Amino acid sequence: MTKYIGRRILQMIPTLWIIYTITFVLAYLMPGDPIRASLGEEYYRLDPAEIAAMEEQLGLNRPFTVQYLDFLWKTARLDLGRSYIQRENVVDIIGYRLPRTLQLMVGGMVVALLIGIPTGIVSALKQYSWIDHSVVVLALIGLSMPVFWQGLIAQLFLTQSKTGIALFPVAGYGDGQLIYMVLPSLVLGTGLAAIITRITRASMLEVRGQDFIKTAQSKGLRRHTVLVRHHLRNALIPVVTVVGIQVGGLMTGSLLTETIFNWPGLGRAIVPAIQTRDTPVIMGILVYGALIVLFVNLITDLLYAIIDPRIRFS
Amino acid sequence: MTTSIQDKDYHPKSSVAQLSDESSQGSQRRFVRAFMRNRIAVVGLVIVSIMIFVALFGPLIAPYSPNKTNAADRLQPPGSQYFLGTDEFGRDIFTRLLYGARISLEVAFIAQTISVVLGILMGLVSGWYGGWVDDVIMRLTDALFALPSLVFLIVWVSIMEPSKQSIFISLGLIGWASVARMMRSQVLVLKELDYVTAAHALGATVPQIMLRHVLPNGIAPVIVLASLGVAGVILAESGLSFLGLGVQIPNPSWGSMIDTGRNYFTNAWWYAIFPGITIMITVLGFNFVGDGLRDALDPKQYD
Repeated sequence: MTKYIGRRILQMIPTLWIIYTITFVLAYLMPGDPIRASLGEEYYRLDPAEIAAMEEQLGLNRPFTVQYLDFLWKTARLDLGRSYIQRENVVDIIGYRLPRTLQLMVGGMVVALLIGIPTGIVSALKQYSWIDHSVVVLALIGLSMPVFWQGLIAQLFLTQSKTGIALFPVAGYGDGQLIYMVLPSLVLGTGLAAIITRITRASMLEVRGQDFIKTAQSKGLRRHTVLVRHHLRNALIPVVTVVGIQVGGLMTGSLLTETIFNWPGLGRAIVPAIQTRDTPVIMGILVYGALIVLFVNLITDLLYAIIDPRIRFS
Repeated sequence: MTTSIQDKDYHPKSSVAQLSDESSQGSQRRFVRAFMRNRIAVVGLVIVSIMIFVALFGPLIAPYSPNKTNAADRLQPPGSQYFLGTDEFGRDIFTRLLYGARISLEVAFIAQTISVVLGILMGLVSGWYGGWVDDVIMRLTDALFALPSLVFLIVWVSIMEPSKQSIFISLGLIGWASVARMMRSQVLVLKELDYVTAAHALGATVPQIMLRHVLPNGIAPVIVLASLGVAGVILAESGLSFLGLGVQIPNPSWGSMIDTGRNYFTNAWWYAIFPGITIMITVLGFNFVGDGLRDALDPKQYD
């Protein structure tokens, strides 16, 4: 298993390099001038020599290859550099925002699991009943709503007494109070909940027809024991994989959710960074984002092999 | 090695048609019957047909002009004069939704075609040749799965200037990974089968084997992925437009209507609500159809 993990981590290096290179090339090609963006009005009062000196200092006047190799070399040594605009180290920006994005992602995941698994199970146990039909349709509706629109609806009906009930704050982080997390997590988790419902249902139905369930039933085990020990335990294996695969999607979703709920996460840092061509911030956030997704995928695969002994590391 | 396939005049669409020609009438009818028996799938098909009709003929149905402003009628609630109300310039929201259908569906179909063609090619090459070609393509798909797609889209669109073209190109370029994986796994199974070996032994060239044997027999799950993918692309496009990076004003786009509408949310709820419902219904239609196709094509139906 150590060998397997080692190989998977080695495989991440080319993947990360591809992501890094594509993003760097795109960031280089992007319009926008970080110096102008950071100076604002003052930019027009400076003479060209001073601006050239600033470009020199940031290394923006070097040829593409030199800039690329310099960035790559520094990143490889875990030095993400300083933001061109905010005069702050990228590590500090990420250190502040990453935990907040992760917090939101965990919130969304909890919502998704709490809704998805029980509804999937009930739906499969009552296959073809009206409950099952409504779950199937509702899950597809959950998959079909734009995240940002759900956010607006939630804000309209659940945050102000004028148009609904004032149950939750409209937006913001509120020093990490739990109540501020509820709506963003609900909105972020809906899509994933729908996916988990569908997988749980399909997997429950698939396991139901298998021989070991019949064996357990004919041994005279109680229905409850068969359901929990044999049926559920096996049916939830594919759910683990899907949850792992969806972490990337959850990250994209959190970008939009952060925009709507004014949540101080990575998503709200990367959009302005792109607008001002703040390359160190863009690269730093993407490297971290990609690393998280890759590691979660690895952990998922490992978990998968641990809970399902039929799977071997190879 | 790989060029031989790309050089060939290569249309996956035509091979879908070929599939139906080749397979027996019976299995085709069985598939249609299985699909039509599925009530949800039929509802989806109806929704998708209506949306395509609206995208094609929307301007003929539209009661008003999409971009003509009318200050006297700004932010009118839904009623007899304006079916779904008006926006901050007094433009009819229903009309703008009809015009928006054209943009959303056009972007979605073109982007999805790019992804599917690219994905099929990559999957065929990767699965058939294996070795380092396979490694490179699989690492590329890993990278695409790990890349937060929306960030890539934002960067790409800001380089290319937001426009219809830059949106469908970028969506197409990042969407092929799942199709490629699916096609590759199909090829890995199919290339071991006797009739493929036989075709090989009879001297068929690789492109011939791909087009006549591998593609027709492995395409079914790709079609399912593609129809579900259209739903995803419509959502992605609306997300981009919501962030102000989609099709530019004054052209109506569902996502950007929601973005502007949210500024008038408390006193003109209809402005942001109706475009959202439109997106939801359209995406739902494609999801219904995709699900129906999958169930109808699935040989091992549950129960």
